[in-house]
Amino acid sequence: MNSKSVPVIAERLTKTFRVAHRSAGFMGGVRAIFRPTWEYKPVVRGVSLSVQPGELVALLGPNGAGKSTTIKMLTGIVAPTTGSVRLCGLDPHRNREENARNIGAVFGQRSQLWWDLPARDSLVMLRDIFEVPAGEYRERLRQFDDMLELSRFWDTRVRHLSLGQRVRCDLAAALLHDPAVLFLDEPTIGMDVLVKEQVREFLRHQVAEDGKAVLLTTHDMKEVEHLAERIILINDGEEMFEGGVAALRSRFGATWKVHVTLSDAVGHPRLAHARIVAREGARVTFGPRPEASAPLGHALKEIINAYPVSDVSTEEDSLEDIMRTYLGGAAAARQSASGGSRMAAR
Amino acid sequence: MAGGTALRRSVYRLRLSWKLTSLNVRARLEYRVEFALGILAGILWQASVMVFATVLISRFPGLGGWSSGGVLLIASIRLLSHAVYGVLFANVNRLHAIVQEGKLEAFLLRPLPVYRQVVLHQFHINTFGDLAVAVTLFSLALRRLALEWTPFKIVFLCAAVVGGALIEAAVQTALSCAALRSPTATADWTGWLDHTLSTFGNYPLAILPGAVSGLLTFVLPVAFIAYLPAAVLTGTYEGTLVPREIALASPCAGVVLFLAARRLWNWNMRRYEGIGG
Repeated sequence: MNSKSVPVIAERLTKTFRVAHRSAGFMGGVRAIFRPTWEYKPVVRGVSLSVQPGELVALLGPNGAGKSTTIKMLTGIVAPTTGSVRLCGLDPHRNREENARNIGAVFGQRSQLWWDLPARDSLVMLRDIFEVPAGEYRERLRQFDDMLELSRFWDTRVRHLSLGQRVRCDLAAALLHDPAVLFLDEPTIGMDVLVKEQVREFLRHQVAEDGKAVLLTTHDMKEVEHLAERIILINDGEEMFEGGVAALRSRFGATWKVHVTLSDAVGHPRLAHARIVAREGARVTFGPRPEASAPLGHALKEIINAYPVSDVSTEEDSLEDIMRTYLGGAAAARQSASGGSRMAAR
Repeated sequence: MAGGTALRRSVYRLRLSWKLTSLNVRARLEYRVEFALGILAGILWQASVMVFATVLISRFPGLGGWSSGGVLLIASIRLLSHAVYGVLFANVNRLHAIVQEGKLEAFLLRPLPVYRQVVLHQFHINTFGDLAVAVTLFSLALRRLALEWTPFKIVFLCAAVVGGALIEAAVQTALSCAALRSPTATADWTGWLDHTLSTFGNYPLAILPGAVSGLLTFVLPVAFIAYLPAAVLTGTYEGTLVPREIALASPCAGVVLFLAARRLWNWNMRRYEGIGG
């Protein structure tokens, strides 16, 4: 496939910021003015990714992992230190204005709408800025209204909208010019459950029906489970994982439990994928073997085949639990390692 | 046809700028009391100039070899050009806030030049106040000056007002480059600059010590905004630090400085590193 047909391609992106290092105290401040010491902070260290048309990829990682900086490089807001980005075949930083027509972005915490005016005025203004033909504009707005119920509040001044209402208007604003690529940074933060579901449905539609390439960052793991085909996990500016949700589970040792009630007393045959972790009369709980973390499905089949089971229930780590375990481990590893930033005097 | 397309693009750009401005005025009109207070604030902001003019007219025959009418002419050209600056460029000295609020990053995601989006970002109602004071002062000056208005002088006056606006825009634009690097550092400086331009811009610089006058001519080009153009219009050349020919060319200073400042700004914009993580 040539680079034009893949909406988002990034190769070995790095971003290093130069910050003035300031020692503590008053004299430290004075010294920083006259003889600054520069500290080079690598924020992104070699991230490669791609997003295909009709695909939603979740970019995950703890605060400060480099997610926002990566998105800023992909959207052309900042230039990468090294590495290359191509969006619909363009360099987003060099061809910023042309690139802007190919992308839409919603940063959940900020709005691109005019604060003091009804949301619809902003949409009309953006229609003119992006030169959207009147017919297309009407058609698209009708479609967005059907799915997001915008007409209930688009005549309200943006400053008086609730967070959920505002973000829905921002979504419409970002998609008004029908971009091939959509960037979403924490879009559903602070929304209530019903609105969240509405927005997710809308995004699913954008991906599946309209073939948009979507890159999403979020801390809401439910959202990832519902929406993302692929996950890219970054930490400390480095790519830790890339793949589907199931692969993430097995890679980071997600655990599960199977509770069964036995209908007959039997011996305990050795199973390849599961072992007994608790027992109370006829109620037995299985967990994965420590040496090989098997998927829940395999183990369940094996247990049912080996035991006379009258009742069964399963428990599985949520993506939330996996991330917590993983990030906890990563934080501990970071503490034991030495500091990662280089210092250079000038 | 490339020519036809270029013309169409220019018309489109102008119409878009006009639409953005009317949207911004409408945004301000949503709050009518604030709108009225904004204009009043603009007038009050320049009230010190009015007081100065009244004292000048009633108490002194003139200042530094200039008649009171001549001094009023300096002040009114300076205020007129400041009002033009206010309409076109007032947002430039608020760039630090635009950067800090993350709005610049939204501008970068639109298919329009960033500088244009910055200047069109808000409409400052108090500019109308500036304009009202400037026009009043200008008519006062005209009544006291027995100037013979030739077509050259009228064109020169208009060019000087635009040139003065461009000088102020150039200086603020150059300073605002720092806001692209470190937004917190520039907030005080833009205020200081505004204050300095309005303090020294209204007087014949000949009344100041040579060193100060030199600084305000060759380092911070305050003299080119109103003092030198007024010298040309009234023929008062004593005490100016530049030859007559340079004074005659003073409206061009704005164009040259502005173009240079814009290049500097674009250079810095390409190296914008974003805010936050």
